[in-house]
Amino acid sequence: MTSSLADGFTEHARSRPAAPALIWQAEAISYGELDEMRTSAGADLARLDLPLDRPVGIRAKKSPEAIALVLACLTARRPFLLPSIELASDTLEALFAQAGASRVLTPDLQPDGSVGVQAAEVADDGVCEWPPASTDVSFMLTTSGSTGLPKIVPLAPGAVEHFIAWAAERFDIRPGATVANYAPLNFDLCLLDIWTTLTCGGCVALVDQDRATNGGYLAALLADHEVNVVQAVPMLYRLLIDVAREDGRTFPDVRHVLTTGDKMPASTLQELPGLFPNARFYNIYGCTETNDSLMHELLLNDGEVPANIPIGQPLPDVDARIQTEDGEVVEGDGVGELLVWTPFQTQGYLKSALNDGKFATYPNAAGDDRRYFRTGDIVRRHEDGSITLEGRSDFYVKVRGARVSTQVVEQAIQEHPDVIEVAVVAVPDELAGARLHALVRREPDSKLNSLSLRKHCTSRLARTEMPSSIEIETDPLPKTSTGKIDRKRCLPREQGAQANG
Amino acid sequence: MDDTTKIKQFIVEEFMPDVPVEDLDSDYDLLTGGVVDSLGLLKVVAWLETEFDIGVDDSELGPESFRTVDAINEFVQKARATSNAD
Repeated sequence: MTSSLADGFTEHARSRPAAPALIWQAEAISYGELDEMRTSAGADLARLDLPLDRPVGIRAKKSPEAIALVLACLTARRPFLLPSIELASDTLEALFAQAGASRVLTPDLQPDGSVGVQAAEVADDGVCEWPPASTDVSFMLTTSGSTGLPKIVPLAPGAVEHFIAWAAERFDIRPGATVANYAPLNFDLCLLDIWTTLTCGGCVALVDQDRATNGGYLAALLADHEVNVVQAVPMLYRLLIDVAREDGRTFPDVRHVLTTGDKMPASTLQELPGLFPNARFYNIYGCTETNDSLMHELLLNDGEVPANIPIGQPLPDVDARIQTEDGEVVEGDGVGELLVWTPFQTQGYLKSALNDGKFATYPNAAGDDRRYFRTGDIVRRHEDGSITLEGRSDFYVKVRGARVSTQVVEQAIQEHPDVIEVAVVAVPDELAGARLHALVRREPDSKLNSLSLRKHCTSRLARTEMPSSIEIETDPLPKTSTGKIDRKRCLPREQGAQANG
Repeated sequence: MDDTTKIKQFIVEEFMPDVPVEDLDSDYDLLTGGVVDSLGLLKVVAWLETEFDIGVDDSELGPESFRTVDAINEFVQKARATSNAD
């Protein structure tokens, strides 16, 4: 039985108005208070008298008032585009125009605690792709596309509800549970952290985006508010480990630790059981288009620290298909591109022309036709059925004619015990086509140098996979606003301006 | 300074400036280790020609002569012997 997000929230606001809904800047905001914020934002939104058959844009940084505005849109059944506010303003304008947004809304917290709505006009010089084939849409998220305009991913309310039902049951998200939210508001991860939690009566401990790399702040948030569920990219765990190293603290209240979005280094992984003594650990695989698709539970307490963590098994009702470049299904063990179909997935990009080559219909194991999403991830299915990530198909580069995955190279380097994190990037090269550059962060007290690292890699990598240049630092690698390694900024300095990674 | 040390110093400065010279063993496989690639090979040859005043014939430019510091040193000694004999 699924209930809509807005209905679930309303139900908890009525039955348990004093229960905490959000933790923000160390203060609790109750369900009753958040409901009042939603109601005031909804009233202001209604006053704008915007056409009902068009979406709105939301331009807002994570905050209680931004969450109230999203709830107001959900309650009014108004589709909304929620892009990253970090995007360039021209990009945002183009996205809002493509979505056919009637206005771009920004929440405005009033001194009395109510939420006003500021509405900006949308430039009408962009190409509008609204409406999609199915207008049954609530959230519209964007992909973090590395090139060109991010793609708009509309989600049907039913798909979101289906996901919420799964996540709530799987991670015990219910009244009394506190869930940390590390990702920015526009991320699909928020469908679990924020939106499942508010539908199910739990409390969301919101990480302030401006302090997302402050380990002391993050550790205090988790400990002070007795957080039970944490979902984040590996960077968060690395920051917490560094804090724990100083003061020896642990997080005994955390029951579920979810890692996603980036490969978890073994050096981080092996310290997790000490940090979270009562938690279960999961590696989750998903895309914005499909939401969470596969999951692997890590049995870290039994000493299992695999070099290459499996991405796991398909979630219940999810179909996974591995196929070769020619479209042949890989049965049993083998390597190929991963295609997934989930009950949580989008019907397709808003700009339908982008669907060609990304969605394809095949029968699943039971013979039912499924519209699979091509993830672009190359995976290996092992004899025991577990699936590991080999790399992104778009991380493959040609080095002296050979097809090389920069992620395979990263994996090999990461296996060195003194390596904290690594990025391998392809630098365009007239002779070789591309040459590989590795930027490595070593443990501060290690003597790792490029020669000892090469010796470590020799048995693990083919000659063409060996980086041409290796730069070793003790500083953290450049990160994007979402905590993933920013590979464009890992290029050798003299190449940064001209290469596109 | 002997020739082996000179070669080591050049390799380290040019291709792995973060490494202490004494860490580089004279029998370390520079090619398999990816220290010297085809472009690097050209740099090594250009340096050898200047540093040791030897001529390197393109036709004898096989990578095997440059696989290790020892191999490069051997190549230099041979080239010197040849030019002295001329």
